[in-house]
Parts: sequence; structure tokens; C-alpha cells
Amino acid sequence: MAEQTVNIPQTLVFLILFLLAIRWYFSKPTPGTTSSTGTRATTPTINRGVRINPAQVENVAQMFPNASRRDIMWDLQRNGGNVTATVERLVEGRGLDTPPQSFQPPTLRTSNPISRATAPLSKPAHPDLITRYNLSSKISAEPSSSIPESNVPKKAWSADKNERQQMLQRRRDDMILAARRKLEEKEKAR
Amino acid sequence: MANPASKRLFKEYRGLSSDPPEGITAGPVTEDDMFLWEALIQGPEGTPFEGGIFPAELKFPKDYPLAPPTMRFTCEMWHPNVYQNGTVCISILHPPGDDPNHYEHASERWSPIQSVEKILISVMSMLAEPNDESPANVDAARMWRERRKEYERIVRENVRKGLGL
Repeated sequence: MAEQTVNIPQTLVFLILFLLAIRWYFSKPTPGTTSSTGTRATTPTINRGVRINPAQVENVAQMFPNASRRDIMWDLQRNGGNVTATVERLVEGRGLDTPPQSFQPPTLRTSNPISRATAPLSKPAHPDLITRYNLSSKISAEPSSSIPESNVPKKAWSADKNERQQMLQRRRDDMILAARRKLEEKEKAR
Repeated sequence: MANPASKRLFKEYRGLSSDPPEGITAGPVTEDDMFLWEALIQGPEGTPFEGGIFPAELKFPKDYPLAPPTMRFTCEMWHPNVYQNGTVCISILHPPGDDPNHYEHASERWSPIQSVEKILISVMSMLAEPNDESPANVDAARMWRERRKEYERIVRENVRKGLGL
């Protein structure tokens, strides 16, 4: 009865189907919600809804030091934060997809000191006012009491062009520094 | 300083320097180019913008004051009437007759009798009271309407960020 013996191709097909079934089962967020929000769960939602847990990223990264954190985040982002699926991919040696350039990991805080230096990925498009007007030295140097009020004419106009420019700059700096001190005091008081 | 636009701008600059309105500092970036100004606006009190200083640039057209300037915040600004790139959308900056929706009164719009000072004061009150009718930033407008707490949190965060805290 040659028909009865289980041959290798059949076993393989069965195993693959089994694995796929398990993967499919785990990649669902919860069985209950799949019917209503099924489309949302399967289509890759980019940077929306899914919050990547940094601890998960860290776990996977420790298991697979060769995999880049960015790739791990991208994979987790797309499969809805399913660590099992990501690990499975790596175990099977399939590797992770390279995320597109536009992918901005929402949380790139790792315990890795090297990547911490580059961590502020969400670099503000605009520098803050202290940086922009180079006021950092004046913040600590001039506590509010030591500014001679007489030197800061609030209402000022000069016939000299350069002097006018300086006065405008002075008024601007004072306005920023005063606001900064006030906010600092307010935060200290809390 | 020969052309009337520069002359007028210089006059306004003098006025704003001699008698600056509360919470506003404004003037040309350099007097060599009177058509590019920089302004600082203080966040109005009693609003989430309170305590903040918001920088903006004003670009004047060559035929100022016939045509209005454009104004753009050069800081993080989360507000229903400010585009994502910082451009301010407010009726006083719109030339009369340029209102396809007819929701603005002609008196609110730009005319040569308006001034930089009036623009900056209008923008200050816009910070306090967003105009929900024609949002420039739809997401901010929706958040302002539906999730005010979150809106205020973002604004406060920007206040701190802007001052380097």
C-alpha cells in the first residue's frame, strides 16, 4: 500500500500550512474585533494608531543583535506590534523588510548609548528663541534683578541707523529673556 | 528710501518703536531691506499661549500699503488659523475683493488704512480666539473643537519648547 505512506512533500505542505495558520491567528490583534476592524488590522497603517512599545523593540534587538532597530520597529509597526511574528521572521531567516525613507520611528529611545546621541530624531524644524538669538549665556548671567532698568529704554528711537538696530535687538532679547525667566519661575513654583 | 512703500514702512517702524503695543516687538530684520520684518508676539494671558513668545516674519509687497504683507510664524504653531508651514490666515491679511466665500466683511480685510500694528494686534487676538469658520489647519481646528484639553497641551508644550525649556 504505497498510497498510505506519508511522503515528504506532503508533510512539508502540511507543515507550511500549519505555520501559516498559526501566523495568521497570531497576527490578528484580538479575535473579537477582527470582523469589524478587519481592514484596519491587516492594512499597514503607518505611524497611526499603533504605538510601538520600546521595550518590545529592545527585546527583539537583544535576541537578534544583527537586526537593526529601525527594521524591527518597521516590522512591528506593520504587524500591529506583534513580537511573535517579528521573531518568527527572524528565526526563519527571512529577514526584515527595509523601511522606506519616510518611516519615522515614533519612539527611538534605546538604552544603547551610541544611538542615544542621535536619538532626538524629532528635531524641531525651528530652533528655540534662545538658540536662535544666541541668548544662552544671558540666561544665567543676568538674574532679573541685576538689569539696570535705566539701560533698557522701553520706548526708544534714535536718529542713528545702527543704534536703532541695536535698540530693536535689545528689546527683542529682553522680551525673550523675561518670558523665559517667568516661565522658569513658574515651573519651579509648581 | 525713495519709494513710497519704504517710506511708509519706515514711518510704521518708528511708530512701533517709540510707542510699542503691549507684548509686541517688530521691525525690519535690517534697515537695508524694509520689506522683510521680524516680529515677536507675546502669548495672550488667560490662554494656553500665555507666557510664550512667538516669532514671525512679515514680507511686504513692493506696492505696500495697497497690498497686504504675508505673515508666517517661524516657530512651532498649533492653531486652527495657521497653516502647517506657519503662514497666518486671517482676514486682515486678505485684500478686499479676494473673498470667494463672502464670510469676511470688507471692513475686516486689508486696506491701506490698516497697519503692521493692527495686523499684529489682530494676530494676538486670533491666538486667543481662533476663527473656526475657515481653518487653515484642519487637524488643529478639529482638535480645538473636540479635544480642547489636548489642543491646550500641545500649545503649552510649544510655549516651553520655543523658550528652550
